[in-house]
Amino acid sequence: MRDAFSGTFRDTFKVSILPFSALIFGIFLLMLLVYFANSIQIFQKEGIEIYTTNKWIASEDPEKEFYGVLAAIYGSIYSSVIAVVIALPLSISFAVFVIDYAPSKLKEWFIIATDIMAGLPTIIYGIWGAFVLVPFLKDFVMYPIYNHLSFIPFFSFEPLSGYSFLSAGVLLGIMVTPFASSIIREAYRMIPFKYREAVFSIGATRYEATKILLSYIKPAIVAGVILAFGRAIGETVAVSLVVGNTFNIHPSLFAPGYTISSLIANQFGNAFIYEYMVSALFAAGLSLFFVGLAVNLLGMYILRRRVHE
Amino acid sequence: MRARKSKDRGAKKIETAIETAIETAIETAIETINLNVYYNSNHVIKSVSLQIPENVVFAIMGPSGCGKSTLLRAFNRLIELQENARVEGDIKLYGRSVFEMNPIEVRRQIGTVFQQVNPFPHLSIYENVAMGLKLNKLVKSKDELNRTVEWALKKAALWDEVKDRLNDFASNLSGGQQQRLCIARALALKPEVLLMDEPTANLDPIATEKIEDLIYELKKEYTIIIVTHSPSQAARVADFVAFLYLGKLIEVGPVEKIFENPAENLTEKYLTGRIG
Ligand SMILES: Nc1ncnc2c1ncn2[C@@H]1O[C@H](COP(=O)(O)OP(=O)(O)O)[C@@H](O)[C@H]1O
Ligand SMILES: [Mg+2]
Repeated sequence: MRDAFSGTFRDTFKVSILPFSALIFGIFLLMLLVYFANSIQIFQKEGIEIYTTNKWIASEDPEKEFYGVLAAIYGSIYSSVIAVVIALPLSISFAVFVIDYAPSKLKEWFIIATDIMAGLPTIIYGIWGAFVLVPFLKDFVMYPIYNHLSFIPFFSFEPLSGYSFLSAGVLLGIMVTPFASSIIREAYRMIPFKYREAVFSIGATRYEATKILLSYIKPAIVAGVILAFGRAIGETVAVSLVVGNTFNIHPSLFAPGYTISSLIANQFGNAFIYEYMVSALFAAGLSLFFVGLAVNLLGMYILRRRVHE
Repeated sequence: MRARKSKDRGAKKIETAIETAIETAIETAIETINLNVYYNSNHVIKSVSLQIPENVVFAIMGPSGCGKSTLLRAFNRLIELQENARVEGDIKLYGRSVFEMNPIEVRRQIGTVFQQVNPFPHLSIYENVAMGLKLNKLVKSKDELNRTVEWALKKAALWDEVKDRLNDFASNLSGGQQQRLCIARALALKPEVLLMDEPTANLDPIATEKIEDLIYELKKEYTIIIVTHSPSQAARVADFVAFLYLGKLIEVGPVEKIFENPAENLTEKYLTGRIG
């Protein structure tokens, strides 16, 4: 009887949430469709070159217009990778610190602080980044490294303005750390106590125990990285204040560049003057879908390999 | 007092000699001296003084909540993972206070098998056993590691069942196999003492029997301290039994003595099922 009842209940529940799930999925599909539809014009004109060239020729004469957003795609990925590289160790250590080391009275405060950091309007980070972070990085990080190691391609660009991939990456890293950290922290907190005991029972030190327990929550860490990457690549305002907004494909961390999001934000206002620019910007946006898809597939691949190894 | 008769003195001498002989013949593996454990203000283990001889199966029995797990976790200082726990008194491992030792060293010498079967589910069978060896740098080569893992799995009577699937996830084993894997994980470190906290509580009768047979095998080389809330299990596997009730040590002695002729009323009541 009870089983039958709970079965019915579950079915009813399933039916009642189904429309919402369908709705969300539908909205997503529609959005994708809109992007496709609006990109067609530029694809017909340029083909794949919208993604494979680095040109930005806005002209009154539609014949002369040409848009290639490769530099922005490059900049988006570059700055987001820097962000993840910075955010990953920060968020893992912060998560472990809050759960294992912070005095229990302060624990909640740390968590609230992370939530506030995550919720701050991004313009706040942007202004702080432009006025504090960029000058700081320029004087105390970029120039010292550049002066000594400029023969290495990563450091080969003279950081004249400080606006650069590195500035964008560091700022993004700081911005996405609270998100990655929350996911990792909650997973770390949820590890059943029996595994903690097991680790210590075989003579692990605190540090070793943490390492083993982190390997147990690897799926959450991968999820945290994907989320962080997604947020970093989608971030607009803050990045456009520190990245330099220059069509530039350069290996150096200190070179200025562009990102897709900041490109769209900067160009959208005047795009309607031109014949093809709106379509080009939609196509640029569409590329973010692809990058996001690729990152998620990569994450799934990492997790699957783990199951089969 | 000093003016004893020489006859008495002779008897005393012999007595002391016998005592010394017994002491040297049967070593004490673990000894607790006036041990008290509190969780905050909750007094859970009350002045327990206990001697556990070497190479026996020593059962700690008592009703649920009487402090068996707490007592066991005090032995190798795992209790210190509980932030609210406080331990008073002393615990000696072969005469040496565990509180003067590095807790990591203590846990290496006193292995633990838990009530909640807990191999690391995300690691392979092999890795589960190898982990402790690597952490404690107990092996010098990959080859020695392989041999020790095999040795431990054989000791835990699991080798034959897993030798073809060492890289399979531990979580794919049955409950009983997982528990034997945990035993192998503990044995790999070559501990002197093995603590087992209700190791069969979550297993079916057949798996239980296997573990009990294994305990019988292992006592030749290890001191096994097993916690159980089942008197019949204590009777089956143990050489010595301690009865713990509400945190107090009520009675301790050889298994026949306790079961056939308990000195304490409480023990008798417990064994006949009138408490607990
Ligand atoms: N971490 C803890 N914090 C507070 N009280 C605890 C904790 N662990 C156990 N206790 C209490 O200590 C008593 C003994 O517990 P335990 O040693 O687990 O008993 P047993 O293993 O005999 O069932 C119980 O009353 C239990 O509620
Ligand atoms: Mg218990």
